[in-house]
Amino acid sequence: MTSATGPAAMSSASTRAPSRRASLGQRIWTQRADYLYVLPALVVMLIVIAYPVYYTIELSFFKTPTSLQLKDKIFVGLENYTTILTSGSFWQVTWQTLIWTFFSTLFAFLLGLGAALALHGEFVGRGVLRALLLIPWVVSAVAASYVWKWLYHSDFGAIGALLVQLGLTDQPINFIDNRSTALASLIVVNVWKEFSFAMIMLMAGLQTVPEQLLRAARVDGASPWQRFWHVTFPHLAGVSTVTVLLLTVQNFNSFIIPWIMTGGGPAGASDIWITQIYQLAFGRQRWGVAAAYSVLLFLIMMVLGYFYVRALTRGDDARAGA
Amino acid sequence: MAQVVLKDVVKNYGSVYAVNHVSLTVNDGEFVALVGPSGCGKTTTLNLIAGLIPISDGTIVIGEREVTRLDPKDRDIAMVFQNYALYPNKTVFNNLAFPLQMRKQPRETIEEKVKAAAKVLDITHLLERKPRELSGGQQQRVALGRALVRDPAVFLMDEPLSNLDAKLRVQMRSEIKRFHHNLNATVVYVTHDQLEAVTMADKMAVMNGGFLQQYDTPAQVFANPVNTFVASFVGSPAMSLIPLQVVTHGTDVALQSAEGWELPLSPENARKALSAKGKDVVLGARHSTLKLHKAPHPGAVPGRVYTVEPTGDVTFAQVFIAEAVVNISVEPTVMLDPDEQVWIEFDQSRLHLFDGETTMALSAR
Repeated sequence: MTSATGPAAMSSASTRAPSRRASLGQRIWTQRADYLYVLPALVVMLIVIAYPVYYTIELSFFKTPTSLQLKDKIFVGLENYTTILTSGSFWQVTWQTLIWTFFSTLFAFLLGLGAALALHGEFVGRGVLRALLLIPWVVSAVAASYVWKWLYHSDFGAIGALLVQLGLTDQPINFIDNRSTALASLIVVNVWKEFSFAMIMLMAGLQTVPEQLLRAARVDGASPWQRFWHVTFPHLAGVSTVTVLLLTVQNFNSFIIPWIMTGGGPAGASDIWITQIYQLAFGRQRWGVAAAYSVLLFLIMMVLGYFYVRALTRGDDARAGA
Repeated sequence: MAQVVLKDVVKNYGSVYAVNHVSLTVNDGEFVALVGPSGCGKTTTLNLIAGLIPISDGTIVIGEREVTRLDPKDRDIAMVFQNYALYPNKTVFNNLAFPLQMRKQPRETIEEKVKAAAKVLDITHLLERKPRELSGGQQQRVALGRALVRDPAVFLMDEPLSNLDAKLRVQMRSEIKRFHHNLNATVVYVTHDQLEAVTMADKMAVMNGGFLQQYDTPAQVFANPVNTFVASFVGSPAMSLIPLQVVTHGTDVALQSAEGWELPLSPENARKALSAKGKDVVLGARHSTLKLHKAPHPGAVPGRVYTVEPTGDVTFAQVFIAEAVVNISVEPTVMLDPDEQVWIEFDQSRLHLFDGETTMALSAR
């Protein structure tokens, strides 16, 4: 009895396996209409995204002396990469990029969280305050950078004048033309510019915290701080992750503020990857090295992107699994 | 355990009164249901007792203490919420332990109390799980457990069963009743389902439009509703209400319909009818007190069948009488067709009369 059913069951299982996992071509063919619908978008994406990425990668293996035309570039293998990784400035710029990204993200998130919590309560003038706090985010980055440049100005800057009037310093501080303060000053501007984004994200998150949970915690004897820590903050974990990742990506890639305010100076003290790449490519026409730099940046972004997509879809998986 | 006293409790938002001068006393160990349609102020009343929303006027006493202005945590209450309100990121154990942790109890005491509560509610095997891994009934038990560990003076329950499916609801209903019985707990229970209130509560407080309408045992509320609202809210199907006019022929008193038929009243009912402010009265009758005849019958009034709903044990017929829909239960063997002409006989000793103007029940003083 068992010997008869054993092989029969096995063979039926083995014949069922391929039909259950139809070949990729077959599956695409059965869903051809779906693919057809996304084809136009796919073609555009290939032209405007895939091709430039490919070209950058290709370029990163070539030398492009300014004496030659770009089409006469010379293949040099990984030389551009070794040039970058062995140069002294690379590690300094990387270190500055990490400081810039880390502190910009940290303070923008914390400030945004504080603002979101403050604006979550009901009080007179909440709408006006919310609108005011949104201004940094909607204002043009270029305009804001020029305004801040003036605020920081060593002779005519309002901040310097204020500090002198308050008696905190004798002389106006030279914020952005000083090697030791340039990067920190830029981070302040960046945090000011993007904390509103974190605020909006977290305000949206706060509105999804169930009122009944907060009430339950109140009845259970939790203080406001304990309610925040045990109910609100865990509830914000998802949106916080997404916000921090988006800010990190944005800061790693930021260009406008450092470029306009200091151009990476003085003496490279506020140079970050993007400004460095821009200078290499469009300042010194070293396309190959700039391309190699971009490829490295691209790889880092891919890693961050992976975590971002995972954070975004984790909720979907949980829902699909449930 | 303790008693709860509400005295002239008011909650208003400007000119809108969510709770309008409500006074009631919940005795020690009593199970009281606050019941009414949505927006009647029952949940607001519960939240006022809990201290979750500030009171506008009046006083609340729990046990021997006035708690009117105290924080929820200082009122010695525990609350069970409609959607359970379990902390999603904490295990069942930590959910149960949370109120004790917030009160800075020593670790051993917490463990002991949580395990005891889990044992009572039969959730010991779930202690390491997260709320999302539990079924609705299990989550409800955890929510009860979280209230139980504290050993509070009063349990407040806000529609705890309305998220459960019908079968589980009946089961949890008896479990909560058992829970109340075993602990001899004081419970204030909010529900929109009058059946829950009738089956579970020692007393029910029927609310409407922010006002307390009637506060009595379910049997009393069922037998002697104070006004047409309570009459039509309690009981399933609801009491049928027929607006009629009082007419007198010498010493005989009858109720007359717009269609012209008259229903002579017994002497006691006649006295009730005459105590009405005007001519308008509302006749109330429960389905089981009515008798349906297929042919004209002395004392029976004419009606027309609207719908017939067989339920197995009993068939409910809805009959139009004087433009009002009247529920009548008949034997399942009785065959009725829509639009069929029937005659309805009232039981004079079990009908209710309400004043057509004030909607209040009439009495034969």
